[in-house]
Amino acid sequence: MKKIACIAAALAWGAALLVPSTSFAQEGTSTTATGISRAMNPAISVNTLLLGQVSRDDPSREANNIDLQESEIQFTSIVDPFWTADLVIAVHPEHGHEEEGHEGEESHGYALDIEVAKVEYRNMPRGLGLVIGKDYLNFGKHNPLHTHQFAFVEAPIGVQAFLGDHGLSGVGAEAAWNVPLPWFAELSGYAANSPAEIFDPESRDLVYGGRLTNLWDTSDASTVEFGLSGFTGPGAGHEDEPGGRLATYGADLTFKWLSMSRSQGPALNWTNEVLLPDPAEKEGDPLGFYSHLQYRFARQWWFGAGYSRANDFELHEHEEPATDDGLLTVNEYKGNFTWTPSEFSAVRLEAWYQKDTTGEYEDLGVGLQVNFTIGSHPAHLY
Amino acid sequence: MKTCIAALLGTALAWTASAAELEVVSTLPDLGTVAEVVGGDRVTVTVLCPGDMDPHFLPAKPSLARKLGKADALIYNGLELEVGWLSLLIGKARNPDVKPGQPGEIDCSEGLSEILEVPEGEVDRSMGDIHPQGNPHYTLDPRRMVEVAAYLADRFARLDPEGAEAYRAGAADFQRRVEERLPVWRAAAAGAAERPVILYHRNWTYLANWLDLMVVGEVENRPGIAPSPRHVQDLIYQGRHLRNVLILSAHWDHHDVGEEIAERMGAALVILPGQTGAQDSPGDWFGLIDTITAALAAAAPPAGEAP
Repeated sequence: MKKIACIAAALAWGAALLVPSTSFAQEGTSTTATGISRAMNPAISVNTLLLGQVSRDDPSREANNIDLQESEIQFTSIVDPFWTADLVIAVHPEHGHEEEGHEGEESHGYALDIEVAKVEYRNMPRGLGLVIGKDYLNFGKHNPLHTHQFAFVEAPIGVQAFLGDHGLSGVGAEAAWNVPLPWFAELSGYAANSPAEIFDPESRDLVYGGRLTNLWDTSDASTVEFGLSGFTGPGAGHEDEPGGRLATYGADLTFKWLSMSRSQGPALNWTNEVLLPDPAEKEGDPLGFYSHLQYRFARQWWFGAGYSRANDFELHEHEEPATDDGLLTVNEYKGNFTWTPSEFSAVRLEAWYQKDTTGEYEDLGVGLQVNFTIGSHPAHLY
Repeated sequence: MKTCIAALLGTALAWTASAAELEVVSTLPDLGTVAEVVGGDRVTVTVLCPGDMDPHFLPAKPSLARKLGKADALIYNGLELEVGWLSLLIGKARNPDVKPGQPGEIDCSEGLSEILEVPEGEVDRSMGDIHPQGNPHYTLDPRRMVEVAAYLADRFARLDPEGAEAYRAGAADFQRRVEERLPVWRAAAAGAAERPVILYHRNWTYLANWLDLMVVGEVENRPGIAPSPRHVQDLIYQGRHLRNVLILSAHWDHHDVGEEIAERMGAALVILPGQTGAQDSPGDWFGLIDTITAALAAAAPPAGEAP
């Protein structure tokens, strides 16, 4: 009994000691109970995409389900007087194919992926920029976009076919220069180690690329943007045959218009992009193309229509070749309506149709996508 | 030969003179006027947001970043009004002089003595596009713009110490011009101050505060979010006993809702230019306040004037 009383007294004494420190911690809103400051915490946001879809032609579970399409957790902060940092961690379904002997089985868990982990040097001379780390490579108009920025549920077939299902990303460095011209012009170049499926994972060679972006104000309300891109990297090769140096070039043209006289009024985005893999390194006449049109016809409503074509692209190893030479040409048509009740949420109803030129492959699908963002999400690039 | 040397010297002197000026970029045209008056001949001012454009939703065009890339100073409204686009432009401009924390980065809201509608307690987005640091639309209150002028004089002087006296004189000139016009503006809005007023968006809060307008409701019950039909019905029902109501709406707002409320309440929808240069409002910020108060006078004539 005496022992219990001693323990109780000790606890009371300890609690009495703790009270002032707890009170002190609560007075400052930027300090945690541990005494560690929260004032320097990064801006944190989470963007999540939920997708329900059905397909007329593809009976797989992947094409007929409701699932998390992707969830991105983003951290942004100034590191110190010298660097600004971004970190994006993505969670997405893992539809990986099992090893040989279990052909046809798929895993249905979730995978973690670090999409962005980069720092930007803050003290570069005027007009110059330097970024080091991991990010989507600065190729074309579509590749640098994150999934929740897409105009449609998925990337266009003309991009997926030549840059891979998950786009081109890499770890390296990129330098950029705002070229002093009478219009906005930005020239950038990068060197990176890319894990993208189009490159040889065994190669030690880097990917080198660059982009020139030009943008003109055609009026206060409209702009025209023209970009040229290119990269070269170690090609993935085929079976036992080593891949050569893979080069791909791209050009993009975007027109944007926004009603000046009405807040969140009519707006139009029209993006066109062509990808040209180096014909010397590829069989057939490979070419990727898409044209996407988005129109805001009411304060909270967008309509989208898109066409894309992937010409003579190589199928992935796990896919059944539909042609003798393993090359496929697919046309894709898409349409959607998007309801955006605020900047932080959107609901999109979309239909898509793909068909290859041999007539053996066809897919008609419908999807409903819900997109929401919580936290301090940085604004998107123009 | 002498002519050539004189011409070269003249060119060099002219270049030196222009190099001494501050290249100022203002996010908003209202603040651009203050910068021009305060800076006088020592500054050149470029405005990013066109007058007709709602500054909440200015697209972050790289061409605007190009303008910012040449600036010695960036002046902006602050209180997160430009949160959707300014950080992108600063990043794309690649101009170390206007990056956060640099002397050339000037948040005009730091010069204010009072900020209205600072939320108490926790805020979240169920409240709409709420500004956690307070209502950012202070440029429609001349008293606060006088404070901004004094603040800009101080900040410009830090960047260009030789011009400190000129900047102080410019701020004093701005204050004098405002004080000259204040009685005229208030007299023009005296009739409106006698009427119940409904605001479409809270961008009129500072104007209402300055002119002692009697605000009885808001069309947007959650800022930045389209009003729900239920809220519109409630607003009409609750205001059914009110007479001679004025509904203040910016030219960029969606007028269909305001028109419906006005029709069903027997109220007057007063569409006003939201900022300098909007709706072809004449001249600078002074012209904007002239236009707004004249529109209020037309909708609600002061006592003694024929309607």
